[in-house]
Parts: sequence; C-alpha cells; structure tokens
Amino acid sequence: MEYKYIGKDAKRPSAVERITGKAIFVDDIRLPGMLYAKILYPKYAHAKILSIDTSEAEKMPGVVKVVTGKNIKHPFGDCLHDRLPMAVDKVRYIGEPVAAVIADTERHARAALSKIKVEYEPLPVYTDALDAMKKDAVLIHEHSEKYFYVTPLYKPTPGTNIAITYEIKKGDVKKGFEEADVVVEDEFNFHHMSSVAIEPHATIALHHLDGTVEIWTANVGPFAVREQVAEFFGKNISDVRVHIPHIGGCFGYKSDPGIEPLVAYIASFVPGRPVKLRLTRKEDFTSTFIGRGIRARVKVGATKDGKLTALEETLYLSTGAYADTGSNILIVAVQTSGGVYYFPNAHVKGYSVYTNTPPVGALRAYGHPEAEFAIERIMDMLARKLDMSPIELRKKNYITDGKTNVVGEKFKKSDGDLFKCTESVLEAIPPKVEVKEDENYLYGVGYAGLIKAPKAATFASKGCHIKFNVDGTVSLNMAGGDVGQGLWTVARQIAAEALKMPPEKIKVYNEIDTQYSPWEWQTVGSMFTFQGGNAIIRAANKAIDALKRNASLVLKRDPDMLEYDGEYVYDRSYPDVKVAVKDICRGYVTEDGTTIGEVVDVTSYFRLPGVQGPDPETGMGRTGGSYTMGFQGCKVKIDRRTGKVYIDHFATSIDVGKVIFPKGAEAQVLGGVLMGIGETLMEEVRFKENGEIANPDLIRYKLPRIEDLPGKQTVKFIETPDAVGPFGARGLGEHPMIGVAPAILNAIYDAIGYDFKEVPVTQDMVKKVLEEKGLTVKDKEE
Amino acid sequence: MQSITVTINGEKKEIYFEGGETLLDVLRDNLYLTGTKYGCGQGACGACTVVVNGEAVKSCMVLFRRLEGAEILTIEGLSKNGELHPIQKAFIDADAVHCGFCTPGIIMELYALFTKNPDASEEEIKKALNKHLCRCTGYLPLIEAAKIAQKYYKESIGKEV
Repeated sequence: MEYKYIGKDAKRPSAVERITGKAIFVDDIRLPGMLYAKILYPKYAHAKILSIDTSEAEKMPGVVKVVTGKNIKHPFGDCLHDRLPMAVDKVRYIGEPVAAVIADTERHARAALSKIKVEYEPLPVYTDALDAMKKDAVLIHEHSEKYFYVTPLYKPTPGTNIAITYEIKKGDVKKGFEEADVVVEDEFNFHHMSSVAIEPHATIALHHLDGTVEIWTANVGPFAVREQVAEFFGKNISDVRVHIPHIGGCFGYKSDPGIEPLVAYIASFVPGRPVKLRLTRKEDFTSTFIGRGIRARVKVGATKDGKLTALEETLYLSTGAYADTGSNILIVAVQTSGGVYYFPNAHVKGYSVYTNTPPVGALRAYGHPEAEFAIERIMDMLARKLDMSPIELRKKNYITDGKTNVVGEKFKKSDGDLFKCTESVLEAIPPKVEVKEDENYLYGVGYAGLIKAPKAATFASKGCHIKFNVDGTVSLNMAGGDVGQGLWTVARQIAAEALKMPPEKIKVYNEIDTQYSPWEWQTVGSMFTFQGGNAIIRAANKAIDALKRNASLVLKRDPDMLEYDGEYVYDRSYPDVKVAVKDICRGYVTEDGTTIGEVVDVTSYFRLPGVQGPDPETGMGRTGGSYTMGFQGCKVKIDRRTGKVYIDHFATSIDVGKVIFPKGAEAQVLGGVLMGIGETLMEEVRFKENGEIANPDLIRYKLPRIEDLPGKQTVKFIETPDAVGPFGARGLGEHPMIGVAPAILNAIYDAIGYDFKEVPVTQDMVKKVLEEKGLTVKDKEE
Repeated sequence: MQSITVTINGEKKEIYFEGGETLLDVLRDNLYLTGTKYGCGQGACGACTVVVNGEAVKSCMVLFRRLEGAEILTIEGLSKNGELHPIQKAFIDADAVHCGFCTPGIIMELYALFTKNPDASEEEIKKALNKHLCRCTGYLPLIEAAKIAQKYYKESIGKEV
C-alpha cells in the first residue's frame, strides 16, 4: 500500500525549541516564591535510625523548614506498597533520604544539612540476592506481611528477604530432560547499571492552600505520579495536577514515580510555596532507580539433532531496598526466559530479593536483556556440545507460526519473520571469520536473537485528543513523553496519514498536563507507536465520521455516501457537491446564522487487545500481547596486548512491521546498540561491601563516547505487517539493546575460546584471560 | 556580593554574584540563560559547554570570578534576527536533535571549532564531539550533523549581515 506521510522522513516538531536552548526542562522552571530542598543521606546502607536532631539546622540562615520522615503514615507503591518517600525508622540503602532542608537558596539548604545530627545503629549490608536469601540474613523489611499488594502475584514472603516469587510451568520438564541427548547447565550474571539520562532528575512540587497539589517533573508516567501522590496524601486524584515539560532522556528510570513523592512530601510542610529538588549527578546515581541486577541459573536439554526439549531456570533479582518497581522486571524476565526459542517443556522460577542498594526500576527493555543474555549464551554453548553451527541450532528452534513461548502464547506469521532478520544479519556479517588472528588482534563473530513484548498492565491505554480548528488545521493532544525517541514526530505522521492532511497542518502537543492531556498509562514498553498510533487512527476516524455527519446536513446526502479528503467532504458520485472541512468543523453556520451540526472535538483510546494477567497456578497466559523480534550479530577484534574489545561491525535486523519515521527508527537502533555496548563492556554501578557506590559520577562510571563506536554499523528493518499495529507497525524503541550483550560475548568466545558469563566484560577481565591462555603478544623490544 | 563586567551574547553587562559560583551557576541561576545545561558538574558530559573568548569551555568547571572582561557566547546568542545559525540548521536537517539536552553544548563546541578552523578534518570533528555524552543518538547522527554544519557554516562565511 502507498502511504503519503508515513515511511518517509519528517522534521521533528520539537527540534527548533530544542536546538535554540528554548525548550523548557524542569530545572529551567522558576516559580514565584520558589524554595529549594537539599537532602541528607545516611552514613550506612542499612541501619536503624535511633534519633534525628534538626534543631541546629533550623537556626541556619535562609532555612525555612527541616523535614524528617516522622510524619509519614503509610508506605506507597504501584504493585506492592512497600516504598517510603523518606526513611522513617531505618535506612535501607545509601541514597535513601533521611531528612531534607527547605531554604531560600540551594546554597543555604546545603549548608544546613551538615547541622542535622543523626544516630544510627548499623545493620549487615547485602548487595546480592544470594546473600540476602541466606537463612541467617537480617531482614531488610521486618514486616513485609503488612504491605498491600494489588494481586497475589506481588505477595512478599514474610520472615525472609524475598519480595516476589513467580513461577511458570509448561509441559513436563522431567520428561523433557529424559528426551534430551544433551544437557547444558550454567549460571549467568547481569550486573546493575544506571539509565544515566544526561538530564538528572528534578521535580517541583507545590501544595496549594486549597488542598490541591501541583507537580512539575521529568517523568513519562505523569498519571502514575498523580495517582500515587494522591493516594499517599489521601487526596482526590483530580486534585493532583502533574506537568511534564521537555524531558532530557529517560531510558527507563524516569517512568515510575521516583523522586516526585519525596518532593511532594517535603513541599507539604510549606503549603503555598513551590519547592524544587534538583539532583546532582551523584544523587542521580545513588538515589534514583538503578537497573538490571539479575542472576540466572539455566539448564537446557536438546536432542542430538538439535531440537530443544526442556528449559529449567531460576532467576534472582537483587531488587534493592524497595521491591515495588522491580517486581515486574522479575516477572518479565521469567516470562522471557525462553527468548525466541520454542521449548515444549519449561519450568522457570524467579525471586525478587530485597538488598541494600537503590531500588531497581525500569531500564530500557527491562527483564528482556537479562533473560535473553542467559538463553543466547547457553544456545552457543549447546551448539558447541552438539557440534552444530549456532545459527543452525537457533533456526531449528525459532518460535514460528503456531508455536508457543514459555508462557504459552501462540505465535502467528504476522508477529514477524525471524528467518529474514537472521538472513539479513548474516549477509552483513557472515559466520565465517576470514582471518582468525594476526600479530596484534584476535577476531571473532557472534550472534543473538531478540524478542520483546510491551509487558504492560493489562489495562494500559493511550489516548488521543483531536481538535479541529476553524481554519481546518488540527491540534493533537496526547500524553506520550517525547524523551528523544521522536514520538511526537511519529504521532504527527500517523495523524497526517489518518486525517489525509499535510503534517504542517497538525500541531502536536509539546507538554503534558494531567488536567488537559488524555489519560495515558505510561510511555513505556516501546508501546507508543503501537498503542498511541491506533488511538490516533481511532480518533481520526471518529472526527471524520463527525465531519461527514455535519456535511450530511449541509449536502443533503446520507453520511455513508460521503468521502473525506482532508480539505473537503464530498458526494462520492458527484465530487463537485462538496463542503470545506473548515466550514463544518465547528458545526455549519447557515445563511441566516442558524448553526447546525456538532463541534468536531474527539478523544479515543487504545489498549492491547486480549492481554491477560498470568494464571495464578501455572504462571501462564497471554501476557505479552504484541511481540517484536529481531536478530543481531557482531564482529569483534581483541587487542592481544591490552585486552581491549573493538566492535568492528555490529548488525541489527528487526521486523518492525512497518517503519513510520525512517531516520528516527534507525537512530533508535544506533542509540540502543551503543547503550547495549555500554552495558556489555563498560557500564556497571559498582557496590562496595558497605553498600556505598564506588563510581557515582560520569568519570568513573563510563558511558560510551564517540571513540567507543563500532567501526561499522548495519541497521535493517523487515516489514511483515502486524495484524493490529497502526499501518502494520510494531514497537521498536527498547529492542536494539536486547541482543547486544550475548552477541558480543558469543563473538568474544569465537575469538579467544573463553566463555564470559557476566557483564560487563571489562578490558582487564579479557586481558587476564588472554594471559592465562597464552594469547597475548609481548611488545616488540625497540 | 561582588561584580565583574563581561560581554554575554553581545551585550556588555555588570554581573553581581556571591563569589564561588561557576560560570554555569551564573548563566542558569543569575541570568536565566537556561539553554546551557547541567549534566554532571565534573566536566565529563559536555552539556554545559559555552564559548568563552572563542574557545569551547565546560562552564561547570570555570569559576565566574575569573572571567572579568570575557566574551561569552551561549546557545541563546547563536541565532540572530530570528534566523537559525547554520550549525543549528544542520542539526535539524540531519535529524540529530533527539531529547535535546546535550545538543546546545555540542552545538557550541562545533561553533568554537568551525570559527577557529572552518576546514577541520573529520578526525578533529570527532575529537571535539568525543568530549560530549549523548545517550539518545548513538552519535552517528551527530557526526553527520557536524559534517553538514561545517558545509553550511563555510557557505555562510562572508554572507553575515
């Protein structure tokens, strides 16, 4: 089908604002009478608070109020209500707020922090789930039995540090392993990392004297922020209003309510005064959500001709001090444990375990890179044991038409063509390395499949509000956060296509306000194009229907005899019988001024059809709803002197159904792959034994720079139209990260014959292996 | 309070400040020139880059009191008479403006580079961009934008009003 506006490059509607320094981000906002907060953090990552003395701090210049957690009545959350905005009687991680100073300037607030005296009784610190699960481990939450949970899926195990347990059972695993000729078993570990948007978190909160609350923040879940803040204060949801200005990158950690409840709590002590909290980069590492942190013990069985028979796996998420925001990460990881492969039998169990680190929250593609790292690494190990090519083994076991994943969801042809993805990557990076080694380098290639569903709440929806203006132009309002992925551009393109008018006639919103924007669950899960796009199409159709009803009154034709072309509504058999859209979009003013018809102003919503919560007994069910699949490969060269891993070529092919915004789609892959390279080779939030973070800054926490780019990158899109997606499109934003780590580690094995089972794999780790294996070369003597 | 005189975006100003502020603090908090961004406070991310006396500097690392008489250019001073600067135009044409948080710093870096050396090599461009962190683009769109920016900039030399 020929499209006029989608599939073609477009100018981003926000570009001029963002390029001239005029785009307003939270920290750029100053409100009249605004006060500033600074936060006191604990000396220990796990300790009882014996006393807090704020009297000296209160006397400091400029100080308006010193706030502690003693007024907090109950915890809050989404799935498991175990979170606190500020510590009450104990601290559970090193970045947990213990007290806050509100002052006229940030400088005064900071100066007063050192005058707050806190006495602690230190407790043992756990940063790894396996330690926190030990029988004699001290409890991080002593009374988890008291926490509210929305469904039994999120029920903690009192008397232990286990927050969430989730299990799936498919077929008969015992029988599956009996049928296997070969069994491979191993353990993999994905360390913690940080989303590190270049814009650190900042929030302003204002409790009005009429009892309403207003919040300005950088978050892609404004309605979730509103609901949780309202619930925390016992207010009507309608009395909390959240504004979202421009967001300087998200990558996960700005999608759940983060510092917003904290700032709202602090600001409640100074009603009538807005309070701003802007985090330093260090605080952004220590006091917001971190990501990943999953260990996986995996066992797979296969027949000698390479047919998978069984998967048995246990996953451990070190979820940090509060489990609410990590609970779905564990569940998703369990549900994704089979990757792109068909296992007739599977038994997978996962534990989310309290530890003394910042809480784990969303990070691009959460749950998927962790689980698929394990399965894609073990597929290579299995291929070796079977003496089979890893590509052949993969292709033999792909989830194809009619097959089911580990939670029993049946795949259809319209879910994508994994074989085409594989072929196009192999064309770019053939499996055979011409030169395996030379004087300076060792070379290898590696591959991995990838798959991801939105994995959102079953009721997750997106809305679109279309308002026709009297000149025939359109104002389009939605609540999707454009965090750089370009969704405002995509929204405008889809609206242009659906409304049959040039994008220039459609003004897309550039801020979100829960008072005016249509409800949206959260801009997460790479769902915007899919759900938001369908909401746009529904709203456009509703508007076109209304225009036809109005035209019907004017042209004296039944509405279904009329056509719409973006500018006119006309009789399909006599196109000359027509009326301009601009003349009927607010009703039609007849000659004597009498006005007939309706105002064309519509809102529509869309949610994934038929998505279920998992079955309480088996953990199975249609929990994904819409999947995007792909394949990635890379060629590495490893410096024999230094152990440095260079990515010579990285190739990605994803079946996106339909590309809407080509440059945007390609950049999502480029950015996602580079973030994947970061988490594979350099990025790790490193914890000391006492729970402190060893590298909470951008000097010691290494983010990929230009010098870390692959020598070459190939990006290919396959377009097998989706049965439900708008114009056949599927989600894409997070997917490019998923196969990067296993593809690189598989390539490293190919180069040096060593199986790394954790990421990141640092230069020092590789160098050590090269030395042990005698693969290094000594510098030539001059 | 103390004061120094500097030229900011072409306007000569006497600016009062406490004493220990960085250039970034003064730009954002005193002058409300919020196009310059705080990303790390350690000179690692480049989001706060502005041009001082023709050189790209990380404004979070410069004490304001050392800038007496300096000429400072920020992103707000780049477009003139409602016209985007050629470098800004290039970023739009190359679709290199994603979340837009690191972009002002990168544009100021390139402005300093090209005004000093319009014929900068690709290696020199990459070296300049390597001082900046961007989490969105994967950098290739930025490199592409920089090359187009160089072309537009060279075309614009001598045409300025």
